[in-house]
Amino acid sequence: MPEGKFCNKKPVDTAEGITQLLSDTSGNTYYKEMKELTVDSDLLWKTIQNTCKSRIRTWLEICAHCGMCAESCFLYQVNGRDPKQVPAYKIQSTLGKIIQKKGKVDNAFMRHAMEVAWSQCTCCNRCGMYCPHGIDTGIMFGYLRGLLYQQGFVPWELKIGAGMHRVYNAQMDVTDADFVDTFEWMVEEYEEDYPGLTVPVDKEGADIMYTVNAREVKHYPEDLAEAAVLFHMAGENWTVPSKGWEETSLAMFAGDWAACKIQVESVYAAMERLKPKRMIGTECGHAHRATVIEGPYWAGRKDGLPPVESIHYVEWLAEALNTGKLKIDPSKRIKELVTLQDSCNYIRNQGLKQATRDIMKHIVEPGYFVEMSPNKEHNYCCGGGGGFNGIGLYRKQRNIALIKKRDQILATGAKLVLAPCHNCWDAIRDLEEEYDIGIRWSFLKPVIIKMLDIPDHLKPEE
Amino acid sequence: MFKKILFATSATAASDHAARVAFNIARSYQSALNIFHVLGVPSRGYSQVVVDVKTKERVDVDEDYLAWVNEDIKTYYAKYLDERLHYTIDVAVGLPAREILRQAKKLTPDLIVIGGSTGDEDETVYKKSSAGTTLQKVAKASHCPVLVVNRPAASFWGGLSNIVFGTDFSKTSEKAFDFAMKVAKALDCEMHVFHALDISPLHGGRMLSQDEIEQQIREATRKIRALYGARLKELSHYSMDVWEGIPYVEIVKYARDKHADLLIMAHHSRKLPSQDIRMGGNVEQVIVRAGCPVISINK
Amino acid sequence: MHDLLTGVFFWIALGVCLIGMLARFIMYFRGLSWQLDRVAYTSHPAAGVKGAVRSIYKWLIPFGTYGWRTQPFIAVAFFGFHIGAVLLPFFLLGHTLFLKEKLGISFISLNATVADGLAWAAVISAFFLVLRRLVLPEVRIMTTLQDYFILLISIAPFATGLLARYEIGNYSFWLNMHIFCGELLLIAIPFTKLSHVFLFFASRAQLGMDFGIKRGGMKGTKMAW
Repeated sequence: MPEGKFCNKKPVDTAEGITQLLSDTSGNTYYKEMKELTVDSDLLWKTIQNTCKSRIRTWLEICAHCGMCAESCFLYQVNGRDPKQVPAYKIQSTLGKIIQKKGKVDNAFMRHAMEVAWSQCTCCNRCGMYCPHGIDTGIMFGYLRGLLYQQGFVPWELKIGAGMHRVYNAQMDVTDADFVDTFEWMVEEYEEDYPGLTVPVDKEGADIMYTVNAREVKHYPEDLAEAAVLFHMAGENWTVPSKGWEETSLAMFAGDWAACKIQVESVYAAMERLKPKRMIGTECGHAHRATVIEGPYWAGRKDGLPPVESIHYVEWLAEALNTGKLKIDPSKRIKELVTLQDSCNYIRNQGLKQATRDIMKHIVEPGYFVEMSPNKEHNYCCGGGGGFNGIGLYRKQRNIALIKKRDQILATGAKLVLAPCHNCWDAIRDLEEEYDIGIRWSFLKPVIIKMLDIPDHLKPEE
Repeated sequence: MFKKILFATSATAASDHAARVAFNIARSYQSALNIFHVLGVPSRGYSQVVVDVKTKERVDVDEDYLAWVNEDIKTYYAKYLDERLHYTIDVAVGLPAREILRQAKKLTPDLIVIGGSTGDEDETVYKKSSAGTTLQKVAKASHCPVLVVNRPAASFWGGLSNIVFGTDFSKTSEKAFDFAMKVAKALDCEMHVFHALDISPLHGGRMLSQDEIEQQIREATRKIRALYGARLKELSHYSMDVWEGIPYVEIVKYARDKHADLLIMAHHSRKLPSQDIRMGGNVEQVIVRAGCPVISINK
Repeated sequence: MHDLLTGVFFWIALGVCLIGMLARFIMYFRGLSWQLDRVAYTSHPAAGVKGAVRSIYKWLIPFGTYGWRTQPFIAVAFFGFHIGAVLLPFFLLGHTLFLKEKLGISFISLNATVADGLAWAAVISAFFLVLRRLVLPEVRIMTTLQDYFILLISIAPFATGLLARYEIGNYSFWLNMHIFCGELLLIAIPFTKLSHVFLFFASRAQLGMDFGIKRGGMKGTKMAW
């Protein structure tokens, strides 16, 4: 049986398809079917010939097998320094083999490659900084995921996630109407405490177009209200698009490049329709990477830039605090040891390390901010990046992966961790659940709202 | 009066007292009762997995699972459920407070019934990162009255006959009074209007002399008469009192004294739900301590 | 024999090496794709060049990067080997004379003691590089026969050169062996992992452009290599 009912080479692109796939609890049947899935070696090799060009081929070729990347990989460190977790080995034994064999690999090999691609690499790109030859294994794993996805060897949850983007232009079944309704509902609820609070939908020519993570709409709408409150307090001229509001891309984790393109183009269309001065996304790491850093390339934008200047939420926050648009009441600053999680997706991958540190300066009493070690570009992945958090099949491996972040946090002595990234937030939550180290963690928005020095004209009437 | 009731339940012992009240009211007043359970909190990052608050297991929430939980709730409340009761059961996933409010937005009930603190054993790790309790958040944002049953003693068996209305003379208290009047008239209850004068030095900044206290009591009594006197006459039995002390203690004492089977108070929306329940407003304190159900009114 | 090695063979080896390197270099850059690599190479040349240059020179400095500093053992072995491997072919007295005669280019010559030191350092470092491959599990797992072969042909010119230098046994035999090994090495460069002698610059430049253009360079953040 080559193509299964659930597990096959065809992406999911209907709502019924998603429902059907979801009905297969934990993907049990899906993974059973995967064992029978045939590998289309011709397609695989043809794809490689068309897309695997000199950069990756050279990387694979000149890798000196020196092992300098070993120590850079947190998964290698936390898995008892198993040599099978050395980044170079991981990629050479998967992508390297596929290319060496010109695509003639079997089902078992592909399933093994899937396990390596999604449970032994979070595409954090840290190893790329430690290779003398400048070989970025994370990029190659991203590429490998694309090949595996095309052949149907992708974790169940990510096939669903990519399908969601194809159907809803969002990572969850949240419609455009749901988004607007939820945002308006939340603003209405918060309006009492913040008079004049509104959510301007589809306003043309605003200074800021705000985009979010569908999970916020679905499960955590307070995030939306908080964003509205902060824009309101800073006196920003902002808007949200009624279409193209989803910044995230599970398609990127899945390696579904076509869906990546569909997704990011929906956001770019909103930019072109509303012509804002800037686009700002929520406190999410991979969303920023998908829509701002990699997105332009999927959409075929030659200059590598989105249609309008697009910045991460932390950049806006840092700017608002630095310019005094948002004022912090110094007496309400954090007065306990606090540490900061650097998200790989916008720190290592876009160098935004200064923005978060500027924010810390404003919101933490001097002397209470403790850096993790290492930090900034050299920081370790939270343990759940690249889709790792969401894959049930690799839960055990994911829990082991959390150990590095746990130990880094413990070493700071801080009991509060600020994590301006959904995935990091989640990984840190899970590590508290798994290892019970007695920490709290938060996004920046709720922390900052609590310590704002609110101008009189924005205060509610007593 | 209570045509539609939303009963938000954890479907565990923590909600048992609230359940008794909810089913009781629904039966007595032929209300349509929606039994609503939030089964677990989903992750922030992408995942299909949810930790079930009851079983503590990581589960994939799909149609089958929701149906199973639905059935489980039906079994749990089997002794209350019969064909004379108009009830529906809904199960959702999310942060409890948010989902209760979402459900309330959808159903526009006349009353939300909710249990008190679910106690430590029900705490998931999520709780640590979300400020405030479910109760605080629902009470703060709800458009309809929220009836809270926190203590076993607070669940009544019979109908309502004695209502205590606590006022602080705020705007919201006006609304709470309207509601209290409505209930009292509809159910033909006695109504006891009460104000507690806060004499703690923490509040006034200094110790009050007895003369001052008595002066303030007289003022408050006048105020109650002025504000509510005329309308109270519509009821056959009512009383008005002002006691001094720590407000929440006095209210609880007063309710006990009047054999109240319902306490109605305004909820102060200005109080951010981030405040610790021990430090929180009077309403929260009253809820925790009262020997009868408390209705909190916000809007 | 000696004439053959320093005559035709030398020219063939040098030709294969240079033409091979050039061809591969061109192929490398022609094979870069802004869209597949997701780096807008041509749209932001200034940022790209800046990133590329930083990415190369930082790694050329001993202990110049985080990577070198965190792994001092391999850093020492690496530079111990590579400094000699790069300098000696061009600047050893014997080589400069030979190159002057053959190509008419004259380089300054290294002091004999320094040259000896570099050669010994290279041989000793190479020994440790081999040892590393044998001893460390994280290196052993990836090491292939080709890796040993590359090390062997890389170290052969040094070994034979030193044997000739100290005239252990037959001087002219070792000298011929030395020239032969050197030429073998030249020929191997474009076709094996030794291509890293020039593709190192290409690969590092590419990643440097990636960081310089897409991953922070244009935001004003210099990559902390």
